[in-house]
Amino acid sequence: MNLGLRGQERLRLAVIYVLCAVVLIWALAPIYWVAVSSISTRQELYARPYKIWFPSQPTLESYQTIFTQGAKFRSGGFSPTAHLMGTGLRNSVIISVASGGIVTLMATGAGYAFARMEFRGKNIIFLLIMLMIPLPIWVSLIALFFLMSRLGLVDTLVGLILIFVTLLLPLSVWLMTTFVRDIPSEIQDAARVDGADRWRLVYSIVLPLARPGMVAVFLVSMLTTWNNFLIPLIFTRSDDSQPLTIVLTLFIGQYEVAWEDMSAAAVVTMLPPFLMALFFQRYLVRGLTMGAVK
Amino acid sequence: MKPNTRRISSSDSLYLAVVLLPIILLIALFIYYPAVDTFGQSLTNRNLRIRRPPKPVGLANYVKLIEDDEFREVTGRSFKVVIITLPLEMAVAFGIAMLLNQRFPGRGVVRTLTLLPWMLPGVVNGFLWGWLLNGEYGALNGFLYQLGLIQEYQYWLREPEHLIFWVTVVQTWTRYAFPTIILLAGLQSIPDDLYDAAKVDGAAAIARVRFITIPLLLPSFGIALVVEFIAAFQIFDVIWTLTAGGSVGGSMNPFTKTLMLYNYELVFRDLRVGLGAALSYIILLMSLAVGLIFVMRVYNQGVQEQ
Repeated sequence: MNLGLRGQERLRLAVIYVLCAVVLIWALAPIYWVAVSSISTRQELYARPYKIWFPSQPTLESYQTIFTQGAKFRSGGFSPTAHLMGTGLRNSVIISVASGGIVTLMATGAGYAFARMEFRGKNIIFLLIMLMIPLPIWVSLIALFFLMSRLGLVDTLVGLILIFVTLLLPLSVWLMTTFVRDIPSEIQDAARVDGADRWRLVYSIVLPLARPGMVAVFLVSMLTTWNNFLIPLIFTRSDDSQPLTIVLTLFIGQYEVAWEDMSAAAVVTMLPPFLMALFFQRYLVRGLTMGAVK
Repeated sequence: MKPNTRRISSSDSLYLAVVLLPIILLIALFIYYPAVDTFGQSLTNRNLRIRRPPKPVGLANYVKLIEDDEFREVTGRSFKVVIITLPLEMAVAFGIAMLLNQRFPGRGVVRTLTLLPWMLPGVVNGFLWGWLLNGEYGALNGFLYQLGLIQEYQYWLREPEHLIFWVTVVQTWTRYAFPTIILLAGLQSIPDDLYDAAKVDGAAAIARVRFITIPLLLPSFGIALVVEFIAAFQIFDVIWTLTAGGSVGGSMNPFTKTLMLYNYELVFRDLRVGLGAALSYIILLMSLAVGLIFVMRVYNQGVQEQ
């Protein structure tokens, strides 16, 4: 069979697009299904066999339900859940933004120190920070829980933010160190000869040039904090501090199984990471692969 | 050697103190001090259910765990998860990386959408798949039924032997994007000349993959395997919502209990702090070798390549 050059190219593209379709179904089908579930009526969603694949009358009723009633999930339960989605959303936003912001500032200052300054103990401090990455977190978590209890920081947003900032430090410091190192040092040396001290140097020369790195660190930190489940599972007890990942599991474990409502709660929980992954993926990939891929 | 770096001026040491002391303090207080404290507790019989001051018991907790059937079962399961997940994940990632390495219109969009699952919360992923695989109303049943591939709805998550398989599938779905990115970067660094030369020599497509692509990708596979080993070994969130039962303080599905879930159960549900602390150190020892490879790479790149 002789297809000619154009025919061959067309065949190649056809094969590629078929494979792309397979890959996209694998990647997106579970997300599509939960999104559809969240806007379906119960009658259509619970039809057997299910064969609609898109609701005939899309409705936002489930979203309204989870934010206003909630109690449905815990009929006979002991605590009211009507406001759990609201407080969960608030807590998730506060801890992600605060942890991301604080760790970005700290990592930028330290990144400059590790990349551009010589001081005693530099290597050992850097190593101690990086050793946290592969350390199975349980080793610290158990005693940390009792420490946080003594400090009165269990079930508080401040406690969560402190823990997240600490856990985010290794990756953030590593990223900022490599970013600052990539800034040409001639500019900085010139400024030093002019007598600028470190603060001025960092503020007026390094900060503007390191901004893409800082954005990456901030976004990755925010995403990691938003998605985290284990830390709030251990360190929260009530709606004072429970983020959405915890609220979602509270809904799942309860008596009545309302899949359309739980789907709505899952969609709310994953919407911010989903949007970040769509619009800021370049930054996130760079940060999450530790800058291995640029 | 740059000027002004030999001697630390007083303004420099103030700068260092302000940027480094908070970090050192946080890490010392929240990571290393608790790690030492946890080790101390692993040598006691501390149990919060029993009102007595904890007594030192030496290595008794470690011995008890190693001789315990449940511990062995859970450890075996954790390694099983790793052993099934890693090849599955690498195969998926390699296939997708090969596809995304082709030139075609729309590649950027496909790439962005392909990497999405990795950035979603693990608990949501477990929920998504639990609902997808649901025996009563799940989409997988509806889909297969419509295609005529099944005659009646299946309870995918009912048989204990199948649960671990689905756990690895969901873990693969959650994590395949990372190895894909690493392998794609590796593929893009292979010079086209090599393939052209092989083509001239008459090597078939399969042979080119076998003798050029895969050998040159080995370092990328190495990085991906180390990182994914850590991720799969520490699996927690996905299982919590997929099969574990998911309620705080409630009972846990014994058929998908891996080391991290077991550790959570021992400490925060059973309140056997001493035993749980010992378990966390056994887990540390088990992942030490792989962890050290990782940290040495990071460290070498971070400080020494200047």
